[in-house]
Amino acid sequence: MESQSYFPVQPGVGVEENFLSLDDILLTHERLPVRTECTFPRLGFLDKSSDSQDITEGTKMELPLWLSKGLYERKRRVLSVEMPKVYREGWRTVFTADPNVVDLHKMGPYYYGLGSQLLHFDSPENPDIAQALLQTFIGRFRRTMDSSQNAYNEDTSALVERLDSLEKRLFKSGQSGLNGFQSWEKGQAAQLTASSLVLNYRKRKMMDVQS
Amino acid sequence: MDPLEVEFLAEKETVKIIPNFSLDKIYLIGGDLGPFNPGLPVDVPVWLALNLKQRQKCRIVPPEWMEVEKLEEIPFSMGLTKLLLTHASDNIPKADEIRTLVKDIWDTRIAKLRLSADSFIREQEAHAKLDNLTLMEINTIRTFLLDSLNCMYKLRSNLQQGSSKGQFSNY
Repeated sequence: MESQSYFPVQPGVGVEENFLSLDDILLTHERLPVRTECTFPRLGFLDKSSDSQDITEGTKMELPLWLSKGLYERKRRVLSVEMPKVYREGWRTVFTADPNVVDLHKMGPYYYGLGSQLLHFDSPENPDIAQALLQTFIGRFRRTMDSSQNAYNEDTSALVERLDSLEKRLFKSGQSGLNGFQSWEKGQAAQLTASSLVLNYRKRKMMDVQS
Repeated sequence: MDPLEVEFLAEKETVKIIPNFSLDKIYLIGGDLGPFNPGLPVDVPVWLALNLKQRQKCRIVPPEWMEVEKLEEIPFSMGLTKLLLTHASDNIPKADEIRTLVKDIWDTRIAKLRLSADSFIREQEAHAKLDNLTLMEINTIRTFLLDSLNCMYKLRSNLQQGSSKGQFSNY
């Protein structure tokens, strides 16, 4: 029987994030390059590089996703969000050329999650970004599947180190399928060793009694 | 689903046995069994066949497909094969060879299944028809495939949302 006792809340992946997912909470800490579109009075202390009391209009800074998402509004332009470089045109071409060579863990590790969240900020590139995310996922699917279904009883850290957190989850579920099957196939062998152990144990006891 | 559950389900398949005892028909909730006459072949579910076999009350007649020549590309049941091979290998001619063959077929079929899963994802199909797959095969790939289809669905709905948003702002 499945002996799983812990079911973590899965990340939402799409535009909606899952409030209770630890992965999604970590995801909102990813920093985005933003440009302020109005003056933030008396918040100059946040920006260590300038001495002024206010954050002036047009300052470029990095803000976490949760903050930029809260401040961003389509009508009152408080700040404009720029794309992190992995989602820009140049990197997108790399991803479409061969998604398998990219180290998504280094790029992300929430490449898909952050990319989906970026769609909140209206940018003319949005459809392209969504397309690139999907194509990257599809391109890398085969490799994730094959490595997760073939690596039995070996060190998988080399296989997963280049995977995005989402792909890591997939890898894990693939492994659970494989492990279940393999242990079933070997089930008979495992039982035999157990019984032989018990047998030896009994024998030794008998000898103890006799001596 | 656990592989053990799949194995349990495989025990509902019927198999032909030749009993060496005689017994009237038995009436069970799951169906009537028998009557058993020594030397006369009867069809019984695998669980009963194995039980009788273990008590040496019968001989199991291996299914027709379980022959070295026939194990080429017919659909087969991994669970059933394993059950019969482990419990009644003395009734099956060339059991070792069959075991290797079955393992080979399994590997080929899994490779094929993976290939079709990949093309399924690659072409972004919404549904697929998986004919002639055994429960065990589906079971090994189930969690992985379901999770990845889920992810792909979400990434795809992103796409629609992104484009519809773009259209909206054009108006």
